[in-house]
Amino acid sequence: MGTATLTPPATAAPPAAGKAGRTGKRPRPARERAFWPFLLPALIAYSALFVLPSLFGFWVSFNKWAGPGSAMTWNGLGNYLELTRSEAFRTAFVNTFVLAFGGGVLVFAFTFLSMMVLRQVKGRAFIRSVIFLPMIISVIAVGVAIGFLLNPDGAVNTVLGWIGIEGRPWLGPDMVFKCIVAGLVWSSTGFYVALMMSAADSIPPYLYEDAKLVGATKWEQFRHITLPLTWDVFAVSAVLWVVNSLKVFEIVIAFTTAGTPASPPIQARTVAVQQYASVAGGGVPELGSGAAMGVVILIVTTVLIVLTRRVTRRERVELS
Amino acid sequence: MRRLFGDILVPRATTVALWAWVVFNLALVAWVGLQSLKDSGQVWLSPFALPDTVEWGNYSAAWKAAGFSAAALNSTVLTLVGSLLIVALSAPAAYVLARSDRRAAGRLTGYFAMGLSIPVQTIVIPIIVIKLSVSTFMIDWVTGWWDNRITLLVFQVVLSLPFAVFVLTGYMRSLPHEIEEAAELDGAGPLRAFVQVVLPVAKPGVMTVLILNVIGLWNETLLALLITPTPEERTLPAALLSLYGSMQYSSDWGALFAGIVILVYPMIVLYLWLGRRIVEGMTAGIGK
Repeated sequence: MGTATLTPPATAAPPAAGKAGRTGKRPRPARERAFWPFLLPALIAYSALFVLPSLFGFWVSFNKWAGPGSAMTWNGLGNYLELTRSEAFRTAFVNTFVLAFGGGVLVFAFTFLSMMVLRQVKGRAFIRSVIFLPMIISVIAVGVAIGFLLNPDGAVNTVLGWIGIEGRPWLGPDMVFKCIVAGLVWSSTGFYVALMMSAADSIPPYLYEDAKLVGATKWEQFRHITLPLTWDVFAVSAVLWVVNSLKVFEIVIAFTTAGTPASPPIQARTVAVQQYASVAGGGVPELGSGAAMGVVILIVTTVLIVLTRRVTRRERVELS
Repeated sequence: MRRLFGDILVPRATTVALWAWVVFNLALVAWVGLQSLKDSGQVWLSPFALPDTVEWGNYSAAWKAAGFSAAALNSTVLTLVGSLLIVALSAPAAYVLARSDRRAAGRLTGYFAMGLSIPVQTIVIPIIVIKLSVSTFMIDWVTGWWDNRITLLVFQVVLSLPFAVFVLTGYMRSLPHEIEEAAELDGAGPLRAFVQVVLPVAKPGVMTVLILNVIGLWNETLLALLITPTPEERTLPAALLSLYGSMQYSSDWGALFAGIVILVYPMIVLYLWLGRRIVEGMTAGIGK
């Protein structure tokens, strides 16, 4: 590397802070002296306000607690056992899984189909940028706008009425969750298309020309060229989807706020919403139970990440 | 048969669906804008007609209702200050993590990346506890006052750090090594070398992270609902929710759509201006 010859004269200054080191005889380049001063602000903020509070959350989840100023009493696994007995939490838990799996299948089915045609269709750059648009728009705003259309007397039911179909209570307790899944798929697919296409863009075109010569259809080209060569990115995308889908919160609030914000109908709640409702819904807060829900999401996230990685693991396909 | 499906039916249907999707997205954005200019009766009765008269009054109504003026100010300040803080904390850290060959650097990079898979729900309860304790502590013992918006700012910044550090570390690794060596040859100290030499070279990556955080903080809702529930402290998404919740009493639908536009259009403008960089930034560091 030859850094030794490039060391600045200033190395006569006090030796590098910290002891993370090698011999210490060779003068360190300036950026090595800067290691801790540059790193510490972010490291301290992240550790003190993110990592430590997470651990504190674990601790609270084993206690009964109504908040600062009141006594905290040890409850062991009691909070978790109560959750398994709670009808509302069980519904939320099942909903979260339906969202993660059902939504995931839909998102990636649309992503794969889009990848098949987006390589060559006219206006592809434009399509890619417009389907990405929902990612940058507040989900709350989308929920309010779509909610207006799906209202019992709203535009969708009016239009359905014209063609003789009876309107439905789209945002009523029984159907709102399906609308939420659809809304989530609509708003997130563009991101995964962008992610996967950024990998697909670097596949050399001659592979597709060869495939055409042997008579492969567009679907077969996707199946045997595009997908294998973007599989690593798909594996990462799947993990990202898992992480994001398990904390779905805003879109549920947005679709169900016509009434009172803190209490969406049980049928539409995810675990994240159930947790929010349990602390923001008024009354004496039961922080232990809320913290336990947070831990449940963390555990499910971790387990699903491991599973997803295992399912998507396979030998890397590379161009030679 | 195989050819019919794989070459014609499925690709054509997908193309049609993609264009329908594009039309829907564009129509939705345009429709919200048109709705915001109608009087409330027309918003409700003829949602797909062009406005009869242009009602700019909706905007002043939204501005007054549900504390939108305060919320717009809160959102703007929190978003800008927060994004700058995120970059100011993460860029130097990412730089030394990317460039150091200490063993600690690799481990600490992993330690920051761990934050990416911790869902915010794990620290919702601790955040509520900290919010209450900090405000009591400051009021009773230190300053005599406290503003929950500061707490909100701090947590929005901290929760964005893992992603910013992760993306910037990857980006800084890709920069040529010669740059800071040249600076050091000039006898520049680490801080000067970083500010005057590294940052200008790393500007595209840093700007991308800044913009992504602007979008993220502007739209952030969960922490805002938890930490700053009162009307004066609210941010725009929370103000819009509260306006929406009050519609069954006030029925000022024009103002509701004006509220949506105030929340959405700034981000659309940003996207029109910097679209490609936003998409690349959100997908970079992940795809590679």
